[in-house]
Amino acid sequence: MSTISTALRNFKEPTKDELTEIFFSIPSAASTPPAPKDEVTNKTEEVERMEINAVMSMGVHGEEDSYAGKLYLIAPYLTFASLDRKSVRLTLPLSTIRRVERLNARAGIYALSLALWHGSKIIVQLTSLRPTADLFCSLLRDALKIELQKGQMKKVKPFVKTCYSETLVTESATVADQEHEDGSLIAEEKDSGPRESTFHGGLGLRFKFPGDPRKLREASKIKLWTQYLKTHGRNLTLLRYPQCTRLVQVGLPNRLRGEMWETLSGSIFLRFSNPGYYEQLLKDNEGRTSASTEDIEKDLHRSLPEYAGYQSEDGISALRRVLQAYAFKNPELGYCQAMNILAAAILIYMSEEQAFWLLEVLCDRLLPGYYAPSMHGTLLDQRVFESLVQRCLPMIHDHFQAVDVQLSVASLPWFLSLFINSMPMIFAFRIVDCFFCMGPKVLFQVGTAILKINGEKLLQVQDDGHFLHLMRDYFASLGESAHPDSNDPRARAITRFQELLLVSFREFAVVTEEMIQGERRRFRSEIIHSIESFAKRSAVRNLRTLERFTKDQAGLVYDSLYRAMCVFPPPPATLPPPSLLTTDDQAGADKPETRIGLKTFQYFLSEVATWARDEKIVSNGFQQRVDRSVAEHEFIDRLFFFWDVSCRGALSFQDLISGLDGVMFNGLMENIEWFFNLHDKNKDGFLTKDEVLTLSETFLFIFRYEIGDAYLGAVSRFMSNAFEYGDALLPQPEEGDDSPAPLPANQPYLNLATFRMVVLADEILESFFETDLTASFRLDPLPESFDAAATLGPSSSSSSGILGDLWSTIATDSNKKMFNMFTDEIGKAVGKHQVVHKPSIGRYTTLEEPKARESLLTPGMRHSVSRGSLRSIDEKDGVRLTPERTTPGISPGRVSPRPVTPTQEKKRERVVSDGDSMPLIQKAAAALLERPQFEIDHVESEDEGDDAFGVGEDEDEGVDENVMDEVDAFLEAHDSGLTEADKEVAKGLIDAKPMK
Amino acid sequence: MAESSAADKSVQVKLVLLGEAAVGKSSVVLRFVSNDFQPNKEPTIGAAFLTQKCRLEDRVLRYEIWDTAGQERFHSLAPMYYRNAQAAVVVYDITKASSLEKAKSWVKELQRQANPNIVIALAGNKLDLVSAAASSSSASGDVSEDEADDATATPGEAPAAGESDSLRQVPREEAQAYATEAGLLFFETSAKTGEGIVDLFTEIAKKIPIEHILASTRGGAGRPGAGSSRANAPRADVNLDDSTKPKEACNC
Ligand SMILES: Nc1nc2c(ncn2[C@@H]2O[C@H](COP(=O)(O)OP(=O)(O)O)[C@@H](O)[C@H]2O)c(=O)[nH]1
Ligand SMILES: [Mg+2]
Repeated sequence: MSTISTALRNFKEPTKDELTEIFFSIPSAASTPPAPKDEVTNKTEEVERMEINAVMSMGVHGEEDSYAGKLYLIAPYLTFASLDRKSVRLTLPLSTIRRVERLNARAGIYALSLALWHGSKIIVQLTSLRPTADLFCSLLRDALKIELQKGQMKKVKPFVKTCYSETLVTESATVADQEHEDGSLIAEEKDSGPRESTFHGGLGLRFKFPGDPRKLREASKIKLWTQYLKTHGRNLTLLRYPQCTRLVQVGLPNRLRGEMWETLSGSIFLRFSNPGYYEQLLKDNEGRTSASTEDIEKDLHRSLPEYAGYQSEDGISALRRVLQAYAFKNPELGYCQAMNILAAAILIYMSEEQAFWLLEVLCDRLLPGYYAPSMHGTLLDQRVFESLVQRCLPMIHDHFQAVDVQLSVASLPWFLSLFINSMPMIFAFRIVDCFFCMGPKVLFQVGTAILKINGEKLLQVQDDGHFLHLMRDYFASLGESAHPDSNDPRARAITRFQELLLVSFREFAVVTEEMIQGERRRFRSEIIHSIESFAKRSAVRNLRTLERFTKDQAGLVYDSLYRAMCVFPPPPATLPPPSLLTTDDQAGADKPETRIGLKTFQYFLSEVATWARDEKIVSNGFQQRVDRSVAEHEFIDRLFFFWDVSCRGALSFQDLISGLDGVMFNGLMENIEWFFNLHDKNKDGFLTKDEVLTLSETFLFIFRYEIGDAYLGAVSRFMSNAFEYGDALLPQPEEGDDSPAPLPANQPYLNLATFRMVVLADEILESFFETDLTASFRLDPLPESFDAAATLGPSSSSSSGILGDLWSTIATDSNKKMFNMFTDEIGKAVGKHQVVHKPSIGRYTTLEEPKARESLLTPGMRHSVSRGSLRSIDEKDGVRLTPERTTPGISPGRVSPRPVTPTQEKKRERVVSDGDSMPLIQKAAAALLERPQFEIDHVESEDEGDDAFGVGEDEDEGVDENVMDEVDAFLEAHDSGLTEADKEVAKGLIDAKPMK
Repeated sequence: MAESSAADKSVQVKLVLLGEAAVGKSSVVLRFVSNDFQPNKEPTIGAAFLTQKCRLEDRVLRYEIWDTAGQERFHSLAPMYYRNAQAAVVVYDITKASSLEKAKSWVKELQRQANPNIVIALAGNKLDLVSAAASSSSASGDVSEDEADDATATPGEAPAAGESDSLRQVPREEAQAYATEAGLLFFETSAKTGEGIVDLFTEIAKKIPIEHILASTRGGAGRPGAGSSRANAPRADVNLDDSTKPKEACNC
């Protein structure tokens, strides 16, 4: 019934490089699919990276201040951010740089002038040391050359034609003529003919945009943006100065919104670098369905159904194509409810192709893990949000705790649908504007602001239901005045929504991207753990039968299985084939179930059975550790097929439980029978001679590390007895329960009764079947030490010794390996390096004098082993290894868990208790809020009135000023990071001539 | 409506709907709350929240209904919704055998993880699809008065096996037997015709230990800081403020 996923193991902290890419909205290598066209595919060659201190100015007097910051070369992009990381930011595809000149400036100043495709010019003064600057320049030159060779430069021109901003800037007067241009599927051929206005657009161009354009002051906004885009570049070359952010904060104009979203989010770079990909993807998958097809279909008609575009087949089919294309591109994520809301929203403002790439950026980068099958990103950010509320609004947090109200009841849909499902669209889209411009922190800022504004009422809330009603009422009132009773008309004019943004960005300016990252780091492992333990409990609960195991024991089996799956992920074949699944009713009847193959099984078994692993005790004078590896033997494969009762060539969790049950709870006679059956391939009740030999080999395999010759002797006695009895019994079966004369052809040779007799004749074998075999299966968690197994997360290590404490601070697997190698080398050098195999059974080692194996052991080793943590060393007898019968939970030949440091213990304890209480999932509240209809979203059929770009007729004179009032409300001090003198230098550069 | 007097006695009951996607959870709720059947137009993220009153003798129950999203990946969010619930309706589709399996797994989860006193009802939905001929319009009228754990089927309701039953994949007897064994209320319903829906919610209401809830909340019913100790206790606030929701008709 259940599927087990180890996907969360990849849910790691982003690296520094990744964070930089995220900051600059650069597509990560992973999210750039191999483009269908060959010419683009080899672009994954060495990506050169370099950063350098720089001062940036615009190459025009008086346009903008100069800012100190950092310039990054992340081929094929050049990026810059001011020191405060927010005032100035730009990401330029190298192919938009048309000219680079070294400027002839004052001595000691190293400046470059970059001419960009849109005619803007920027000047960067490299303020690092000269050699660094030289290096940067040469890397830049090389990177530019590569772009030129790849023909990327030529692609800019046709591409920008698909951008509305071009039309806006070049023919702003006649833009209104494009009213009915839907532009949704305009191909980006190099020569799109004489038609200059082939820009992409969304459903809004045909079905109107939500809201009243006049109230939204569309005309004024368009005018302001036109100015900005003219001077600061646009689409691929947009330079983001403070004004840009401020303009975004007052709301993007509808017509420009789609393009600005893709520009600000960086999805435009994906579209630019993957021309034709979307259409090709659709074509390649034409007529096919994926595992998500059905889910998508169900939600198509519940995605912003109040919007006219989605009451039409055109809108619905566009939505279908975008969601399906995404599911085809990323089958692992597929489709998650709430993606339909996002896709429907962005399709109002952009073409399918634009929406496809924006969805990619949303799912992959901006809302990482939100929509994944485990929804771990959602759970994590809900946890982060809760902790933010605790920090910023402790009263509300405490009250909610006291009355047991769950924040996530309301906030889950806020984050999952970017408020679109909670607020009137016109307001939600303004939050989305800010979200794309300023990053995911916006969600947290707005979320806390909502709570803060409603603080007094929230303190009266007594349960989840009240909380939801309150939020619903608040969202419905966002268009109303925030201060209806004020005497000041200006104050009265401030809407609740404006108030919300003000509180979000002013009072919660303290909520920064770094803070969010930090909080995510803090809670990540807790969330992973709670999801995994939730999955584990479900898996255990959904077992058809627990057999004789308790739930806890089954849980331990699950843990071992899980660890094995981390190391050897099962073949994807056990998952539904992503694109071939038929959608008839039967498809659901056979739910995918995780099944593991042989390789994973071997690992699994090595976790639970002592003889299925090779354990070497390594001492090198600094530490003592156990190196484990998975044993391979035909017997293990045999067991695999023995347990595969449904003959699928793969085992499910249930198979493992039932299989283990067959050996872990038995007494002497049953174990003998079990062992016999395991080797009786055709199940006729007889072993052939070959099978007797195989069985003996199995004995030898299981006993391979026992000290001394006792076991060896037992096996050879077994063999001679078996053949003796077998031969004796052949012609004339003695036993009463024996079957009729065996057929010589099959060579049935030894039956169970005889086998039993032979086994019982030997003390060692008897005790093996009586207790040792069963005892060799241990479910208690192994201390971590497999070389490959360091994936095991926050578990223990099994190392001790002088540097034992250091161990716990060595974070990564490779570090540990290095450390081991390093200390081994030293150990060898000083003659302290010892390796000894651990026995799997470890019982009769003293019956006979240890011989052959003793030679492996030197006196020095004896000493270090006994000094170490191996409790089973009996010091009086030197190397005698005895099993620890009396210590439950410690299997024979297993290192005691002593080396676990107290902090590790504590960690483990905490983890365990967390698991029991499922903190996030239970704390995260129920969410809901069916999407209400908001009058304010209703499309105004009236003409938008922006045709002439004039001032709206019935607005008073100062419309632009009004807009800018709102803008100024957000005005923050922007620190250029430069002294006056520096500014002068930067200004001077504007007029500097290029060097010859 | 004599709201104030009713409100005094109204008890709030948190009820959660669980079940595989498309078995008809939202439709069942819509039928119960609005006595309507139509394609679900409400995009819900996680769960939808609705309220409906239900009269029971001299009592008024106010159901707080949480209709969870059916998509499998929202499963791990489900505990948010069923925590503190006093009642759960686990829905399956009688024309789809696998949906009963999913339902069983929900029941197991609830029995293990939810409020220990939770009243669980199993609802086999889409009855109209298999009893097109037999379904009587009087369905919502003649209710079986069977008590909760009484296993007898609603008299005269189940059409004789066979005939129009080709679509049926889950025999009534099988589900009934399972429900009895697991201690669940059991109904076959149709959100489309309304059959069995009201019974479902009424029988749940009867089985809810209302007196217990009232008693446990009466003591600390005062507003401020009331429930500090009820993190795990069944929640049932006396709703003193019903008049703010006049639109919610009681169709019980
Ligand atoms: N014939 C019939 N169809 C139903 C019934 N209940 C729901 N449906 C249909 O089943 C589909 C899924 O219903 P929905 O309520 O959205 O299921 P949910 O995903 O469990 O909430 C819809 O197409 C409904 O119209 C019913 O009682 N009879
Ligand atoms: Mg539903």
